[in-house]
Amino acid sequence: MKADFSEVEQRVKRYWYVDGFGELVGGGGMCLILAIYFAAGEYFGAETFFGGILQASMVLVLLGGIVLVRRLVIAAKQRVTYPRTGYVEYSEPKNKVVASVLSAAVGVVVAVTFVFIIRQFNKIDALVAISGAVMGVVLFVKQVWTAKVKRFYILSAMALIFGTVLSVSGFPRGYNLGLFYALMSLSFAISGGLTLKKYLDENPLQTEP
Amino acid sequence: MSDELRAVTTLDRLIHEPARLLIVTILSSIASADFLFLQRETGLTKGNLSAHLSKLEAAEYVKIEKTFKGKLPLTICKLTSAGQKALKVYRQQLQSFIDQTS
Repeated sequence: MKADFSEVEQRVKRYWYVDGFGELVGGGGMCLILAIYFAAGEYFGAETFFGGILQASMVLVLLGGIVLVRRLVIAAKQRVTYPRTGYVEYSEPKNKVVASVLSAAVGVVVAVTFVFIIRQFNKIDALVAISGAVMGVVLFVKQVWTAKVKRFYILSAMALIFGTVLSVSGFPRGYNLGLFYALMSLSFAISGGLTLKKYLDENPLQTEP
Repeated sequence: MSDELRAVTTLDRLIHEPARLLIVTILSSIASADFLFLQRETGLTKGNLSAHLSKLEAAEYVKIEKTFKGKLPLTICKLTSAGQKALKVYRQQLQSFIDQTS
């Protein structure tokens, strides 16, 4: 027998996901930004002026998007979640470096495996299949395995399915990636929206009588 | 009876009380939390939670900061390093007792 305190600790950590803002604003917003980015890149073409600017600004779009959605999630939580069910500040993980290295290693292994498999088939769009596989594995490892939030099983599976199906669709690569991120954005938004609705129904704002 | 079994009598009674054990366990896994969050997670009444927090603050296991957010009062609670250490020792003692008796 073990004096197990981990359930209390896990429950506290899962509080971040209780309102669905992480998916609705974070996942949905970030995927929407990427969907527009890749579709616009395909529309303008790599050789045009705008296409070149878009390709050069990939890192800026990614970093800017992450900063923007993080601020939006925190702002939403401050207005909606903290007045209803309380404020929590999370501590930095003790094994942050190990976890980051491990996640990167898993991502590289998955990507290399997929490239190897996909090179056997000429018609498969490797990029979208890899995107789906990496997102599926990252969602599974980070959200389901670490945080034990079960609804991420579905999102993880959807990333894998969308990536696989779109990889054989025959669409141009940019539109294919754009469509993949648009579908994932919609999935995140639906999952987050349903979670938020349930949260708001269960936790009405307390007003003074 | 072995000394290891008798060690259970030296458990930190301040933490051993169930409500306070829950409070310090919650606070040990985060940087800080406000009064509302602790009240909802523990299921304690305002008065009861306040009394337990006062005891933990008096023992310097918990640091309490009272501020305002807009016009609303905000009470932020944080486990101190002494509180972290006390919880760690408590867990080790309890685990040792369980191992000896199971």
